Amino acid sequence: MNFMPAQIPTRRAFAERMVDRARDDKDFVVFESDLAKSTYSYLFHEAHPDRYFNMGIAEIGTSAIAAGMAAEGRTVIVCGYGVFITMRALEAIRSFICYPHLNVKFLSSHGGLTAAIDGVTHQATEDIAFMTTLPNMKVLAPADTESAKAAFDIALATPGPVFTRLMRDPLFDFYSSKESFVLGGSKTIRTGNDITIAAYGDMVIQALQAADMLSNKGIEAEVIDFYSIKPWDKEALENSLSKTNALLVAENHQRRNGFGYELAVCCLENKPVPISLIGLDDTFGESGAYLKTLKKFGMDADAIAEKAEQLVSRKKMLR
Amino acid sequence: MAFQSELSLEARSERLKGIAKTLRHRVIDMVYAAQSGHIGGSLSAADFVAALYFDIMNIDPSNPKLADRDRFVLSKGHACPIWYAALAEKGFFPIEELTTLRKNNSKLQGHPIATYLPGLDASSGSLGIGFAQAVGIALEGKYLNKNYKVYAVLGDGEINEGIVWEASLVASKYKLDNLIAILDKNNLQLDGTTDDVMPMEPLVDKFRSFGYEVMQMDGHDMIDILLTLEKANKNISHRPIMIIAHTTKGKGVSFMENKVGWHGKAPNEQEYIAACLELEGESK
Repeated sequence: MNFMPAQIPTRRAFAERMVDRARDDKDFVVFESDLAKSTYSYLFHEAHPDRYFNMGIAEIGTSAIAAGMAAEGRTVIVCGYGVFITMRALEAIRSFICYPHLNVKFLSSHGGLTAAIDGVTHQATEDIAFMTTLPNMKVLAPADTESAKAAFDIALATPGPVFTRLMRDPLFDFYSSKESFVLGGSKTIRTGNDITIAAYGDMVIQALQAADMLSNKGIEAEVIDFYSIKPWDKEALENSLSKTNALLVAENHQRRNGFGYELAVCCLENKPVPISLIGLDDTFGESGAYLKTLKKFGMDADAIAEKAEQLVSRKKMLR
Repeated sequence: MAFQSELSLEARSERLKGIAKTLRHRVIDMVYAAQSGHIGGSLSAADFVAALYFDIMNIDPSNPKLADRDRFVLSKGHACPIWYAALAEKGFFPIEELTTLRKNNSKLQGHPIATYLPGLDASSGSLGIGFAQAVGIALEGKYLNKNYKVYAVLGDGEINEGIVWEASLVASKYKLDNLIAILDKNNLQLDGTTDDVMPMEPLVDKFRSFGYEVMQMDGHDMIDILLTLEKANKNISHRPIMIIAHTTKGKGVSFMENKVGWHGKAPNEQEYIAACLELEGESK
């Protein structure tokens, strides 16, 4: 697997795919709430002005209007920041998009602390909890350019509401354009027998860096990219844990009610193994540089490696 | 120092113009140091923010929680560089801290968080919610029969948000004549002109029909600003006040003026130097 610095952030990759797909799919339209230059939905505006609607700075209105249009049978892509989509428009999404299972797809940028510099008001650190809790909602969280493009294809092909969590800044690319991605799928991007590290989005890279550090200490970590958060790949997790018997979940989100809770409950219900969760520990983030902020809150590669090492020794003691 | 009201209107105006220029310079310094932040909407608000903080408002930097102080809410929270600059210049915190904007462990969060910094009366940054808090602060002032005024600054894109109009209904219902809202009408928002993104005219009629006493001022004419704010302070209408401030986004740095691209962009070194030279009044 080759790692290259990404040329564009995942928010842009998703938006570019949206523009490309509009040529073969003449049905869907795009809604924006005055963040087009940031969500990159302006690219769609330029290419397909007759299929683009800027609703002004009005998030619950935008989602409720999308519900009305989708109820008439049209697919609507709603673009915005995670904080505004998942909190301001939450009721419209829950009761009037998810409940009637409408074809509204969300391009949700600034996931987690990737919006670090803008501060807490712009950091979506509870979005996965809100969205995964909603019946009928599907949730994707791609980690690089190719998987972000694929996420748009999955969203468009999947009936009903789909939420895609995207990032503010470019990180690394590692999937080739030939790689295939499916709803409910995952990618095991590094194999190992000592511990399973589950991650999604920007944390995949942190997890891989941690795996390198661990390898230097004789610990081989298996790293799984759960680009599909809901539904998620139970089989991949079970197969991996049957080898490693230890699970660390690293996510750029609140630990509480995050993806880690989902995986932990699944393990408890099936085959309990030692588990550690990395994420915001019941605290808000703050302004700063992205990597420094991850470090401050104990969510960077160093923190993952440290917790993983502790987890592996706990596992050995339990034997 | 003499009380400002003892000076002539012209003398007050001249003094405030100097302060506004300093605040503008601080905004440029901060956003350049952070390499991130919102200059355009900070500069459009600079003149009336200077007038409020250095002439009109009853505040005491040595006692930021003074019970009877006038309150200020920057509902268009992304323009916080101008707010931070005014607070530092007024003495609420050291000026050296301004260049920590948006950096780790700074009190100066990317969008203003009241618990981080003395002198902030409400957190903001999610548009419209700051204004609703301002209405709540004004309601408390009326309820307790306090004398303080509440100044709330709104963006002209921000008023797309439904919550602004919900809060306006409440301000009118409870006759919050202690509320003085200022609309920073610079005619641009993130995606383009306000008329293109979401037409809001006729604004005067809209605000009037929502129960406001509506005033208008040239947001860059210091004498007009002072006269309008004084008139607003003597409000006898029993209605909340909405001052429409006609402004220019990026005001004071010619290459940033009326440019939508300067909504949320940091200057590079050449742009920074050019902006500083212009604000210092030297030829480019």
